[in-house]
Amino acid sequence: MPANKDGDGGWKSFLWNSEKKEFLGRTGCSWLKIFIFYVIFYGCLAGIFIGTIQAMLLTLSNYKPTYQDRVAPPGLSHTPRSEKAEISYSLSDEDTYRFLTKAMKELLEPYSEEKQTDENQFEDCGENPAIYKNRGELESDMGKRKACRFKKSWLGACSGEDPHFGFKDGKPCILVKLNRIVNFRPKAPANTSLPVNLQGKVQANLIPIHCSSKKEEDAGKIGEIKYHGMGSGFPLQYYPYYGKLLHPQYLQPLVAVQFVNITQNTDLRIECKVYGENIDYSEKDRYQGRFDLKLYVKS
Amino acid sequence: SIYLQKGLSSTFAQEVLERDGPNELKPPKGTPEYVKFARQLAGGLQCLMWVAAVICFIAFGIEISKGEISGYDDLYLAITLIAVVVVTGCFGYYQEFKSTNIIASFKNLVPQQALVIRDGQKNQINANLLVVGDLVEIKGGDRVPADIRVITSQGCKVPNIQNTPRTHPILFRSTVWLSGTERSYPYWLLSYLYYILNICECMFPCKELEKETLQSVYFPPLQVCLSLTAKRLARKNCVVKNLEAVETLGSTSVLCSDKTGTLTQNRMTVAHLWFDNMIHAADTTEDQSGQSFDQSSETWRALGRVASLCNRAVFKPNQETVPIPKRIVVGDASETALLKFTELTIGNIIDYRGRFKKICEVPFNSTNKFQLSIHELEDPLDLRYLLVMKGAPERILERCSTILIKGQELPLDEQWKEAFQTAYMDLGGLGERVLGFCHIYLNEKEFPRGYTFDTDEMNFTTSGLCFAGLISMIDPPRATVPDAVMKCRTAGIRVVMVTGDHPITARAIAANVGIISEGSETVEDIATRLRIPVEQVKKSDARACVINGGQLKDMTSDELDDALRNHPEMVFARTSPQQKLIIVESCQRLGSIVAVTGDGVNDSPALKKADIGIAMGIAGSDAAKNAADMILLDDNFASIVTGVEQGRLIFDNLKKSIAYTLTKNIPELTPYLIYITVSVPLPLGCITILFIELATDIFPSVSLAYEKAESDIMHLKPRNPRRDRLVNEALAVYSYFQIGAIQSFAGFTDYFTAMAQEGWFPLLCVGLRSQWEDVRLQDLQDSYGQEWTYSQRLYQEYTCYTVFFVSIEVCQIADVLIRKTRRLSAFQQGFFRLVLFQLCLGNLLCYCPGMPNIFNFMPIRVQWWFVPLPYGILIFVYDEIRKLAVRRHPGSKYFKSYPLLTQMSKCTHTACLVPVEKYYWFCQLIRISITSRADLEVLGPPAMFFFSGGPDKMDFFVKQNAIL
Repeated sequence: MPANKDGDGGWKSFLWNSEKKEFLGRTGCSWLKIFIFYVIFYGCLAGIFIGTIQAMLLTLSNYKPTYQDRVAPPGLSHTPRSEKAEISYSLSDEDTYRFLTKAMKELLEPYSEEKQTDENQFEDCGENPAIYKNRGELESDMGKRKACRFKKSWLGACSGEDPHFGFKDGKPCILVKLNRIVNFRPKAPANTSLPVNLQGKVQANLIPIHCSSKKEEDAGKIGEIKYHGMGSGFPLQYYPYYGKLLHPQYLQPLVAVQFVNITQNTDLRIECKVYGENIDYSEKDRYQGRFDLKLYVKS
Repeated sequence: SIYLQKGLSSTFAQEVLERDGPNELKPPKGTPEYVKFARQLAGGLQCLMWVAAVICFIAFGIEISKGEISGYDDLYLAITLIAVVVVTGCFGYYQEFKSTNIIASFKNLVPQQALVIRDGQKNQINANLLVVGDLVEIKGGDRVPADIRVITSQGCKVPNIQNTPRTHPILFRSTVWLSGTERSYPYWLLSYLYYILNICECMFPCKELEKETLQSVYFPPLQVCLSLTAKRLARKNCVVKNLEAVETLGSTSVLCSDKTGTLTQNRMTVAHLWFDNMIHAADTTEDQSGQSFDQSSETWRALGRVASLCNRAVFKPNQETVPIPKRIVVGDASETALLKFTELTIGNIIDYRGRFKKICEVPFNSTNKFQLSIHELEDPLDLRYLLVMKGAPERILERCSTILIKGQELPLDEQWKEAFQTAYMDLGGLGERVLGFCHIYLNEKEFPRGYTFDTDEMNFTTSGLCFAGLISMIDPPRATVPDAVMKCRTAGIRVVMVTGDHPITARAIAANVGIISEGSETVEDIATRLRIPVEQVKKSDARACVINGGQLKDMTSDELDDALRNHPEMVFARTSPQQKLIIVESCQRLGSIVAVTGDGVNDSPALKKADIGIAMGIAGSDAAKNAADMILLDDNFASIVTGVEQGRLIFDNLKKSIAYTLTKNIPELTPYLIYITVSVPLPLGCITILFIELATDIFPSVSLAYEKAESDIMHLKPRNPRRDRLVNEALAVYSYFQIGAIQSFAGFTDYFTAMAQEGWFPLLCVGLRSQWEDVRLQDLQDSYGQEWTYSQRLYQEYTCYTVFFVSIEVCQIADVLIRKTRRLSAFQQGFFRLVLFQLCLGNLLCYCPGMPNIFNFMPIRVQWWFVPLPYGILIFVYDEIRKLAVRRHPGSKYFKSYPLLTQMSKCTHTACLVPVEKYYWFCQLIRISITSRADLEVLGPPAMFFFSGGPDKMDFFVKQNAIL
């Protein structure tokens, strides 16, 4: 290596050669030149890089994502979040579920009545599921769009009136939402594609949700499941979503799933699924259009 | 007994051979093939991957045992890792297998020969055909072909004399016979003395390989490069004994060459004739393609007759189909030359001699210094006898009183004697062996038919003869040698001639082949020219120097170093093989990488000492072949130059290959650095890197090793092995910090494009990592407010991997393009196959179904292939600019690590003219075509020209010069 280049002095003189005033085999002047070269070189490269990125960004729309193939069809997410697909708590110990209810409160915060008073930003979209609310093209000059009001009270027992969201009484609630996707219009399912116990019960203009036990033998242990929310599903008038910029106040419809009569001290695997013509499920993505969850309520 | 003279009969030998099998030792059981393969699978990196694979399996196993199969990722990863190890292992094994085979096949190219006596005749056969009981003759330098018992010996000397204490000692196979001749017969000791063989091998151990540079870099193209080159060289008559020698050969800066056989054809050939007071040049080319002289003169008829008749040499029978120069002759060297010469010019000498019946003859002896014979004449009516005589010219002249000029016998007066002297000196000065020829018709009255000629008494006329002419002979240089020497000069390699011959002959040949260039003078020449004593001549004025062995013996090593330093053109004459060693050492002290040729036993030390020892395949002794690193199958100097060229090529190619391989390390590393520091989602995954390293980049890096030579490869100075290493600072810095940096930027541009187009703007990405990788977070918002589940983000990440991978691939295509040439512009060789390969592989990885989950490759959008393209072009343009600078400013301190063009080849392709010194210009006429006066004016006012274009071009040039 460089140390044996001249065979004298070894690495010490290589580090600092006082005779030739060389540091690491080069004079200060030489190092300076190299430094300047690389400053210019990387400067130019960085310039090209930033320029290219800027040019690329210019081609993008602020309102409409260029591609949505990775994000659609939408995922189904629930609050509180599960830890390794499991929610477990103890009835007797509030500490075990306080953070769960806290997350739900946070989620529900924008849904409070007083936050939805601004008439310029919100409008009523009826009490029953209805067809999509068209608010114009994404890239038109219409500016910000109004959002449909979503009343917390529709969530019934899970609306936050009970600060423990039923956790304390062994009737835990889970808030479910369909992930937002810009300009995505979920389509109501054809009647035939629904599971047996939903057939015929579903209203029009609604994306229904249904939870069941994953294992056959647990079917009886889950007990009754209540679905709170407009029409126990995701009504279509809340769609489409116009994106962060045009729809800053957007409230996505929620469904609260309440396990009213759940067997305690048992691991219960529950799967919730939404049904719609353009909603898909994937082997690899266990949150796409459905989720499953292990629920454990300790008495 | 009769057996000791005649040996076995060949039929009996054949029977024994069939009974016992060939005289071969079973090759030592090499490493079994499966062990070799296993070794390939157990390298450092490979072990790491095995461990990783096992961990993956364990992880998968735990998952199964828990009954929750969440995914097959671990299994896939494990299988991938194993597949990669096995595939690279196979590749490595194949390469090793191939190069071992090549080296093994070289052994068969140079089989060991033995001189065996069967049926009373000596025959050269392959040593493995010897049988028990054969009589073998061994001379100095031979390797003992079998276990033998010595019957008679003269001055026998062998290195291992531990043998049986008998009158007929047993010698083991492979012992090197150092001197003396020997007659013995194989005495097969069963191979229990296996280890003896090994001891013998130790006597000539392989040269210590000082190739840390090569060996420290484990690098698949290395073996490919070396074995490929070795194969290519073997086709060109150079057999390399160890692969690394090829590479050393490339850095050779001094070549010490033998004269006889290497530079010359190793056969005496008639070069000049002097008759009719004119020197005629004979054709000395190997294939008799040259021009012959004017044969119409009467004098030539007489001279030719003397030369044919006064000659005892004969062709061996049954050689009618062999071309005359290649026929085997019984007789001494100069008689052979004359026989072949007359056979060529007059034709059918045996028949011709039959027509002039030989009456008697006096053979040559050192006191007479002549040879004569007396013949009857062709014409049966002419009863005179013809006496023909040849010998040392001055002795012949003494006996002559007349001289034959244009068929006329003229009295030999002072004027003719002077003319003779001049011719004799001229021919002698050319280093040629000169013979004089004369004849006389004996008076038929004094010597009637039936006269008894007494050769001891010399009862016949031996003076007052008629002088016919002189014929001079030389061992002419091989046809290809002057070009090869010229090539060496342009390549900055110094050729030093070391010979045992007479200084004048040595110098003549050196001048002939260009080792001493036209116009170069020795100290003695200058002294003669300026008429001053030798001591007053400035030594640095003399380019050439001829040192003979006697002088060399008296020189100190400092004086020798001085001489080698001061005179670029050196010839050592009358040297002993031991002095060769001194010369080699001196060259090495001056920092040169020395290649030495040798054939004799005594050359072995020099061959071993040299950086590259080159043994002669035909003339070389086994000892020399043993000590050498390379064997020249055709003994031809020009083959060495080919070897040098190949050596340089291999070094260049390795460098290219390494530069290519190094470059991509940076774009593989920076994503991780940025991921850690700026916390963006990971741009490039491990498996993807693995694929770049082991799949897509293997083929191009190997293909660079197969690259053809850049056209100026032999116009560069030899590389300095101390400074210009395989991987030097400049190369690493350039690859890493410049090209690698550009590649990284390309990757990140593509990465951010893919992210932004899917909804993740660059600024959002910064610092996103912890959320992005949060498995619980199923609704992470992108720049548009859309919510992504974890898996969706993961597949987006895979998309990024793929996009980054594609960027590196595209840039690597540009990289392979720029690496194809180191100095020259890259616009020549086709590389489309390579590009196609990389693109196909890239496409396969991207778009093959199933890839996302197994190898983390996602099908990507077409436009993302094109994002890195501008950077690829940038790499290309940037490198072309660099190459332009290297070519424009050779030797600038910024390009220290690039080899320099030699003085001689700093030229354009149209006119290859270089001032070598103030007065001398070199001009390779092959390259330039002088068509007009203007071209000539370009040449300037030279005093001397050196031509390597042959006499016709010389004529042309002289004619053109006359215009000026």
